[in-house]
This record gives sequence, C-alpha cells and structure tokens, in this order.
Amino acid sequence: MVIRDMNDKEKMQELIDELKKDISSKNNEIVGYRDKIDSLEQEIMRIQKLVPGEATQTKVKREKLEDIFDPDETSAIIIKGLVKQFDDVTAVNGINLEIKKGELFGLLGPNGAGKTTTINMLVGLLNPTEGTAVVGGYDVKRDLNKIKEMIGVCPQEASVYKFLKGRENVELFGNLFEMDKNILKERADKFFEASGLKEASNRKAKGYSGGMIRQLNLIIALINNPKIVFLDEPTVGMDPRARRKTWNFIGDLKQDDKTIILTTHYIEEAEALCDRVGIIDYGELIALGSPKELMKKHDATNLEEVFMKITGRRIMEGV
Amino acid sequence: MIQRVLALVKMELLKLIREPANLFMNLLFPAILTLVFGLAFGSLGGADPPLFDVMAPGLFAYACIFIIMTVSMSFTDDRENGLLKRINVTPTTSTQFIGSHIITNMFIAVIQLIIVFLLSLLMGYRPNVDVFGVIMAFIFMLFLSLCSVGLGLITATIAKSAGAASGLSFIFILPQMFFGTFIVLPEGIRIISAFLPSYYVTDAITTIFNGGSPFALGVLMQLGIIALMSIVIVILGIFLFKKYGKA
Repeated sequence: MVIRDMNDKEKMQELIDELKKDISSKNNEIVGYRDKIDSLEQEIMRIQKLVPGEATQTKVKREKLEDIFDPDETSAIIIKGLVKQFDDVTAVNGINLEIKKGELFGLLGPNGAGKTTTINMLVGLLNPTEGTAVVGGYDVKRDLNKIKEMIGVCPQEASVYKFLKGRENVELFGNLFEMDKNILKERADKFFEASGLKEASNRKAKGYSGGMIRQLNLIIALINNPKIVFLDEPTVGMDPRARRKTWNFIGDLKQDDKTIILTTHYIEEAEALCDRVGIIDYGELIALGSPKELMKKHDATNLEEVFMKITGRRIMEGV
Repeated sequence: MIQRVLALVKMELLKLIREPANLFMNLLFPAILTLVFGLAFGSLGGADPPLFDVMAPGLFAYACIFIIMTVSMSFTDDRENGLLKRINVTPTTSTQFIGSHIITNMFIAVIQLIIVFLLSLLMGYRPNVDVFGVIMAFIFMLFLSLCSVGLGLITATIAKSAGAASGLSFIFILPQMFFGTFIVLPEGIRIISAFLPSYYVTDAITTIFNGGSPFALGVLMQLGIIALMSIVIVILGIFLFKKYGKA
C-alpha cells in the first residue's frame, strides 16, 4: 500500500492494521520455530545419551553452568575446603576429598579428630562454616532434601525407639522414606534374615542386647535402599563374632554397588573392608590412599601401624 | 507426606500405650483425678450443693495441660537418644514431625475429654448441654492441646534432659492449674488468669455446660482468644525449638 497524502488518516489506519496483522503472523511463525527448535534439542539430547561420550559432553556444559564440579559423574561425594568452626574450636579444617561411586571409604582418626563432624556436614546435620560438598550430585548447602532422599545414615549412638518392636522401628523409618509397603516388608525380611535378628524382630527393642540394637541401627540405615551409606562406627560395642558378621554384611553392600563411608576406631575393620581410607586428625586430612598404598608409603606391616605412625608423629610434633 | 505423618502418629500413639509414664500422665491421671474429686466433692460424697459441679469444667482443662509435660519429655528423650537427628536425616520435614505431635496430642485431648466427661457423669455431674455445646467443648480442648504442645516445645528447648523437662514443665503447668482451672479464685487475682490459656477454656466450658449457648458472643470471643494464643504459642515453640532446642 502506497500513501500519497500523510494526512489521510483513514489510509494511515489501514496501513497500521495491515502492519499489525503482519507482525502477529510473523510472531506466530517465530513461536512455531521455537517449539521446533526445543523439540529438536530434546531429540539431540536423547540421541546423545545413546552415543557413548556424547552425553558426557552435554553434561559438562550444563554442569559448568550450574557450578557443579563433577564433570564425569564418577564421584559420589566431592568435598571442597570444608571447614567447621565451633566458637574458637576448629573441628574440621579445610578438608578436600573425592569419594568415587561404589567405593567403600574408611574415615579414620583418633577421638575428636573431626570424623563425625565431617559426616554430619555431609548429611545436613551441621552447616559448614566454609567450603562445600556435593553428595550424589547435589550441593549440601542448596539441595539437602534431594540428598536426604538418597542417603542412609547409621549414627554413632544406637538411635532406635526402645518401646517399638524391631520390625516396627524399621517400618517407621521405611515409611519416613515413603517406601512402598510390599518393598518395605521384603527388604525388612531380607535384612532381619541376614543379620540374624529374624526371631527378635517381633520383640520390643527394649529387650535387645547392645549388639542386637547395633544391628537394628544398621538395618534402619539401609532400609530405604540408599545409594550412599554413612556408617558412623557401626560395630562399636559389638562382640568379635557379631562384628565379623557385620563386616560381612557391609561387604555384601559393596556388591550392591553402594557407596559406603565408614568411620571406625577398629583399624583392622578398615583394613579388611575399605578400598581407600583417609586418616583425619585435628580436623585435617593427613593421609589418603588404599590400605596397601599407605602401608607401603609408611613402611608398615598393617594399617594400625600406619595410623600410629602418622597420628603419633603429630602428637610428638605438638600439632 | 501423609505416609510420614501417619507413621509418626502411629509411633507416638504406641508410645502412649507402651510407656507407663505416658499412659499414666495422659489417661490414668485425669481419670483418677476425676474420681477422687467426684468422691470428695460430688453428690455421692453428700456435699449439698455439690462443689464438684463447679469444679468439673475445670477438670477438662486440668487434664489437658499435663500434655505440656509429656510433650517436653518426649522431645527431650528423643533428642537425648539421637532420634531427632536420625529423623532429621530422612526426608521428613520439621513441619511434618511437629505436625504429627500436634495431631497425636489433639487426639489424646479428645480422649481425655471423653474420659473426664464420662467419669464426671458417673460421679453425679449433670451438665445442661446439647450436642453443639459438646462439639464446642471439643474445639476448645483441641486449641488447648495445641497450646500445650507449643509450651511443651518451649520447655524442651530449655530442658537438657527428660528428667529436667518434667520438672521445668511445671513453670507452665502450675500457674494454669491454680489460676485457670477448677480452683475458684478471689476477684482480685483474676487478672492473672487473663494471660492463661486454660482460663478461657475453663470459663467457656463452664458457660456451655451450665446451659449457655455455645454460640454466645462471650464464648465465641473466648474461642478467638484461645485460637490466637495457641497459634502464637505453637509458632513460638516451633521457632525456639528449631533454633535452640535441636542440638
């Protein structure tokens, strides 16, 4: 349309309406193209997942955007500069650590070294003063609820309801994870059988021995089929036979491809079970490696010797 | 969410049944108290006019305020045994956990009301009340139980152990007991009652059970006050316990 007279309001209005229609149709086209682009992107991502190597590339890009530092997704836990300060006491002092998926990792250290504080920060019971950690791909400072859905925690103190029966305790915690009733029963049966608590499962926990309560404590931690399991001194107070049985039990978990973080005072336990151990003292990670590597490095015949050499030396040095 | 809350409510109710101290404080104590007061001051004891008729409405509130003790003991006990931490590492939220306590204790308050009501009837008390009046009495009791949960949380925040909680809970129980339940107060000190949740419940139930309308302006105002008090107290309790009481 050509307008000869700019004062011709009628013509001008016609032109404006025509242009509006034009813009509206172009907009619709653009929206259509956007939808096509979105669906194509989704299709590309789907195909990339099927091609080895391609999916990782896409993932790396996204992780860079979200500031998550696990590009190849092989780590279950990444700890970066973790610090916990209680008033003037530094319980954990700048720990850096990476635990691989499916690994059974032992965290060793003398009393008050900072093992439990570290675990408490990883499971969300304590807020880090500095630094952060990623558990199962989620940041402990931002995505605690997501983390809680995938972890199992066996605390140091045997935390069970004594007035409830063993099975009722397990069912209670299974329900807190909103487990399906049949799956819950199946898993509870399996664990009671494996731990030798089948007979006692219908008795109140009040009547359990110390070792039995420990076993129950462990079953509760595993009932939700967690991907990552934190075992904080799970065998303390058990007699040697029950301890051996629990070792086997923990060893079997490893077959299920779970990542296990174990703290213990029994060095032989760590030596027998763990793929790698970290020795922590005065809140610092002072040694890291497989039991064999550490024994070789410190010229020791067993892990206990390594432990004594390292932690003992620090005492002598007055750290 | 419902699965979690129901599981926790079930656990709390099992605790009520299986823990003798809980069972006594929540159910047997109100029953015994009603029987003792009924025998001592009721028509069966020969008193004329029976003093029990004046005291009975206060007994409902009296039973309910002991929830403060059981709630504070329950929270401190769970904290001492590491159970709060254990629940804290599951996806259960604080709202769901405390919500389950509120539901359980409201349920207990209803049972207490039924027990005291039935035993009062047995002791010769004849309230002049219709079905709406009874429903209104239940509503008042539910709000008082909510208050008691809040005060129990505040007590658990201060107390370091379950034993300490049982003693400290009397800070909230005694004033409510003496100035807000069945004890007839002189005019001069009634001003203290205005600050106590149990007073509004006792006063409203007395009005309702003496033939007053449950929808009278005075009763509705008291309902508003107790509702407001209970919400403020429970929010304060949750805030204090989350901030200072979980460790």
